Amino acid sequence: MSLLRVENVTKRFGGLVAVDNVTVEISHGEMMAIVGPNGAGKTTLFNLINGVFFPDEGKIWFEDVDVTHYPAYKRAHLGIGRTFQISRPFASATVQENIAIGAMFGAAGNEIRVDQAMEMADHYIRIIGLSSHRDKLAGGLTPIEKKMMEIARALAMKPRLLLMDEAMAGMNPKDIDKMVDFIKRIRDEEGIAIVALVEHIMRAVAGLAERVLVMHQGAKLVDEPTKAALSDPRVIEVYLGVPPGEADA
Amino acid sequence: MKGASRYLPSIPVLLAYAALFGFGLLNPGKWQLVAQLAFYCALGQAFNLFMGMTGYVDFGYVAFLGIGTYGMAISISGLADKGLGLGVIGIGLILSVVFAVLLALAVGAVALRLRGAYFAIATIGVNEGFRYLIEGARIWNGSEGIIFSSHLRELVGREAAMSLSTFWADVMVFGVAVIATVLTIGYMRSKIGYALAALRMDEDAAKVMGINVTRFKIIAFITSAALAGLLGATAWAVKLTYVYPADVFGIHYTVEAIIIVLLGGAGTLLGPIVGGLIYGVSKYYLAVYLPGFQLLVFAPVIVAVIVLFPEGTVGMIKRKLLGTALEKYIL
Amino acid sequence: MILEQLAGNLLQGVVLGTVYGMATMGLSLIFGVLKVVNVGHGAFIMVGAFTSFAVFEYLGLSPVFAIPVAFGIGMALGMIFYYSSIRRLLKGPELASLLATFSFGVILEEGIKFLFTSDFRGFNWDLGKIDMGFTVLPYAKVAACLGSVAIAVLLYLWFNKTRAGMAMRSVVEDGVGARVCGVNVDWMYALSFSLGIGLTVASGVLLTMFVSVGIHPYMGGEYTLKAFVVAVLGGLASPYGAFFGGLVFGLLENGSYTLFAQIPGLEPFAMTRFFSFLILLLILLLRPTGLLKAK
Repeated sequence: MSLLRVENVTKRFGGLVAVDNVTVEISHGEMMAIVGPNGAGKTTLFNLINGVFFPDEGKIWFEDVDVTHYPAYKRAHLGIGRTFQISRPFASATVQENIAIGAMFGAAGNEIRVDQAMEMADHYIRIIGLSSHRDKLAGGLTPIEKKMMEIARALAMKPRLLLMDEAMAGMNPKDIDKMVDFIKRIRDEEGIAIVALVEHIMRAVAGLAERVLVMHQGAKLVDEPTKAALSDPRVIEVYLGVPPGEADA
Repeated sequence: MKGASRYLPSIPVLLAYAALFGFGLLNPGKWQLVAQLAFYCALGQAFNLFMGMTGYVDFGYVAFLGIGTYGMAISISGLADKGLGLGVIGIGLILSVVFAVLLALAVGAVALRLRGAYFAIATIGVNEGFRYLIEGARIWNGSEGIIFSSHLRELVGREAAMSLSTFWADVMVFGVAVIATVLTIGYMRSKIGYALAALRMDEDAAKVMGINVTRFKIIAFITSAALAGLLGATAWAVKLTYVYPADVFGIHYTVEAIIIVLLGGAGTLLGPIVGGLIYGVSKYYLAVYLPGFQLLVFAPVIVAVIVLFPEGTVGMIKRKLLGTALEKYIL
Repeated sequence: MILEQLAGNLLQGVVLGTVYGMATMGLSLIFGVLKVVNVGHGAFIMVGAFTSFAVFEYLGLSPVFAIPVAFGIGMALGMIFYYSSIRRLLKGPELASLLATFSFGVILEEGIKFLFTSDFRGFNWDLGKIDMGFTVLPYAKVAACLGSVAIAVLLYLWFNKTRAGMAMRSVVEDGVGARVCGVNVDWMYALSFSLGIGLTVASGVLLTMFVSVGIHPYMGGEYTLKAFVVAVLGGLASPYGAFFGGLVFGLLENGSYTLFAQIPGLEPFAMTRFFSFLILLLILLLRPTGLLKAK
C-alpha cells in the first residue's frame, strides 16, 4: 500500500490548465522534491493533495482511502500536513497556542486534551529551538521564525505525509544545509514522508530528496531518483542550463 | 495552565454581576437601571459568543430574542389554566430555547455555508423576514401579538405575577448572564474556543490544520441563539407580559448588541460586561439631554472604535497586562 | 380577463423593476470595485427620498430637479465616509468594513431623525395617469422608470467612453496592473465609492417619484433587503447585472403580491416582504453568483 497515490489528476482555472494529467505515487517515509519553474503547477498540485481544491478529473488516494472529494480538515485527520509558501500563523495567538492547535485538531487530535496539546507544543518548540519565544504572539516573529513555527505546527498534527511549500525560500546556503538536516531528522524520528516544494534550490534538492518530480506547464516532465533527474537533459533544458550544486538562493 | 486556575478570569465577571445585583438590592429606586444594565451585559455576552468568537456578523440576531419572547408568551397564554403554577415559566424557558435553536438551525443551514460578506447579507433580512412571516401568515395572532398579563395572573395569582414582572424577571436575566459567562469561558478554555479563534484569524489555514470550521460555527451560532432566546423569554416576555412582532424584531437591538461587544472588546470574556455597562450608563444619562438619540452618539463612536481601537477596551487592557500578574484574571 | 391581468402585472413589474435595478447599481459598483458590502445601503436611499421631499416642500421644485442635488449629496457623503474610515479598513478583516457601513447607515437614520423628526413625510406629485385598458399607469411612475433607464445609460457611457470610467474598470480587473499603468488606485477607490453612494442617494429621488408618501428616517431598512435580493439575483459585482436583477425582482414582487392577495387568511403586503427574503436565501443557497453567467 502506497502512502499517497495521485492518479491522472487535472485542474483547470477557466481556460488555464494548471495541473495536467499528473500521476505520482509516494511511499511511507519517502523524501521527494517537486521542482519546476514558476507557474509549473507545483502549488496547485499541493492544494489538490491537501484538499484546498478538488480536481476536475482524476483521483487521489491516501493509504487506499479515496480522498478525492474529502474536505481539507478530513485529510488533515487522516494524516496530511502542510506548510505554506507565505507563512500563515495565527497571528493573535502565542507560539505555543499555534502549535497546540495543530496537535488538538490533527491526526491524533481526538484523544488529546487542551493541556496535553500544550505540552506537546512545548516539545516541538524545543525541537525547533524557539523556546524563548513560547509566549510571544506569532504575529510578531521574524519570517524565518514564522516558518519554523509553521513546521512545528504541522508536525504537531502528527502527519504521515508532510507537504512543505518552499520552506527554504530566502535562506542563505548555511541555513539551507541546517534545514535539510533538520528535515532529515524529522523524517527519521517521526517516520513521516516528506514532499518538499523547492523551486530552484538545487542544493536542497540534492541533499534532501531521494526522488525528484519535475513539473513543467502543469504536466509531469520527469519522475526519477535524484541523481538521474538532475542530469536528465530534459530537466536541464527546462531550467536553461542550471547545473546542480551551483544554483543557490 | 492547569486545573482551576484556568477559570480565574470568570471571577471579575461574576464579581461585577454580584456588585451590580447588590447595588440594585440596596437602591430599589435604581432597580430599573440595574435591570437594564444586566440586560445589556447579558445581550453582549450572548452576541459575543458568535460575533466575537467567529468574526461573523449576524445582522438579524434580534430574531432569536423575538422568537424566545414568543416561546414564553405561548407557554403562559396556552397553559395558564392547567394548574401548573410556576412550572409554566420553566416550560416557557425550555420552549424559548427550542424555538431559538430551531430558527438557528434553519437560518444556519443556509447562512453558515457562506463566507463573510455573503453571510452578512443572508442574515440581514432574518429578523424582518421572520416578522413578516408572522404578520403575513397570521401566526400566533399575527400583527396583533399576544397579551398575556391576565393569563399570568390566573397562573400564579395577582401578587406573584406582579413580583415576577417587576423583580424576578430581572433576576432571571442575571441568571442568563451567569449561564452565558460559564458557557463563554467553558468554550474559550476548551478545544471549541481554540477552533473558533483559529477560524476567526484565518479560516482557510484553520481548515488545513484539521478544524471542521462549519461544525464549530454551528456550535457557536446555536449557543448564541439559545441565550438570546432565554433573554427574550425573561427580559421581554415575563417582564412586559405582552409581545408584538413589530417590537421584538427591531434591528436596533442588534445595533445595540454590536455597540456593546465592540466597545468592550470582541472575543473577550470581560468585554461585553464592560461594554454593556458603558453603553447602558451612557444611554441612561444621555436620555436626560438627548432622549432617543443615543444611537446618533454611539454610531460614530463605533466607527472610531473599528478604525482606531478594533480590539476594544478589554482587548487594550489585556495587551497592557501581558507579562504581569494580573494577566490571568482578564480574558 | 386573466391575460389582461397578467399583462398589467407584467408592465407594472417591469416599471417597478427598473427603479429597483437603478437603486441597486450603486451597491454592486461598490462591491465590484472595493469588495465592500454597503450594509447601510437603504439609509442612503432614504437620504435621497428626504432630499426629494425637501426640494419639493421648501423649494417648490419637482423631484426631477432633486436628482442632481441628491447625486451631489451622495458623492459628498461618499467622499467623507471613504476618507474618514473605509480607506483604512480595506486591508483589514471583512467584519470591519461591514460594521462601518452599517454604522454609517445608523448615523444617517439618526441624523435625519434629528433634523426632520420621525414623522412620516410625503408630497403630492400628481401628473395624471395613462389608462391602458388592462392597467393604469401614473405618469410619475413612467417618469421614474425613464429616469432610471437614463441614468443606467449614462453610467454605461461613463464606463466605456470616459478615461475615469475606463480606469475604474481596470481597477476591478486587476488592481496591481492598473497601478502599474499609472492609475491612482486610491483615488479610483474614493471615486468609485462616492459614485456608488451618489447613485444610491439619487435613486431615492426616483423612488419618491414612484411612491411619494411614507418617507421617514427608518424607511431604508426595507430597501436594503430588496437591494440585496436584486444584487444577488444579478451577480453581486455587476452594476448591469443589478439592473437585470431589478427587473426580475420587480416582476417577482408584483406577481407575488397579486398571488398572495388571492389566498384568504394571508396578508399580501407582509407575505410579499417575507417572500423577498425567501428568494434571497434560495439564491444564496443555489446560485450565489447570480442568475447570469459569470461576467
